Amino acid sequence: MQRAIERRGVPTVSMTVALDVTEHCKPPRSVFLPFMMGHHFGVPFHRELQLRIILAALDHLIKTERSGEIHLFPMTWAQVRQEGKVLEAEL
Amino acid sequence: MTAPSDEIKQLRPELWETINERYPGSMITKTDFVPLARLSKLLSQTRLTFVSSAGIQPRGSMPFDVVHPVGDFSFRRVPSALSVSDLEIHQIKYPTTGALRDLNVIFPIERLQELAAEGLIGELTPNFFSFIGYQMDPEHFEQTLAEDIADAVVSDGAEAALLCPA
Repeated sequence: MQRAIERRGVPTVSMTVALDVTEHCKPPRSVFLPFMMGHHFGVPFHRELQLRIILAALDHLIKTERSGEIHLFPMTWAQVRQEGKVLEAEL
Repeated sequence: MTAPSDEIKQLRPELWETINERYPGSMITKTDFVPLARLSKLLSQTRLTFVSSAGIQPRGSMPFDVVHPVGDFSFRRVPSALSVSDLEIHQIKYPTTGALRDLNVIFPIERLQELAAEGLIGELTPNFFSFIGYQMDPEHFEQTLAEDIADAVVSDGAEAALLCPA
């Protein structure tokens, strides 16, 4: 689907938590997040992280030079969960 | 007898085979890359859309068929101005523990509205686009739903697209 949109002249970027699937289907641009399925934008109520992930994708949208480039988001799921726990304790 | 080190090496490729065996033909494998389209404007002047396979849809719209053995090849338009309380999830094939507490972890409609309001993104398309993954006929998917949503994205005036396959 991403390839179909890109072929119509609309630049695209996708978020993925399944690197092997992404490598197989070769979207034009993608951001790999090593997170749990269904949690591509992080953890509940972590607005700043959700924004950071979207901005990383939009930055990749602008900077990608070759089709198929995958940006590796520089955080682990454990780090993200830990930030979420701290945040929720403060809520 | 297989040495333990060989078993470890086999884990990842064997896992891939297992997925294909359990859901025959469900995976899309491409051998080429599509040419890149380029942004024609600054991001702050660009109209962005969002496409999701998480089964998010406006309350009261026809629910996705989440138990169809082959897949539901329809899609829903989700007005980008809606609030989270206007939306619900109709998909059972991914963990929704986070999304049920804060939908933005899989469908960041509030964050995208904020970025547009702040001017970092030019604007949002009138609609976002939603369907469900776990399609068991990828060829049919590519010929129908993928093309239908790509057409709809263009019709809505999108100049860039963020996609999130759940």
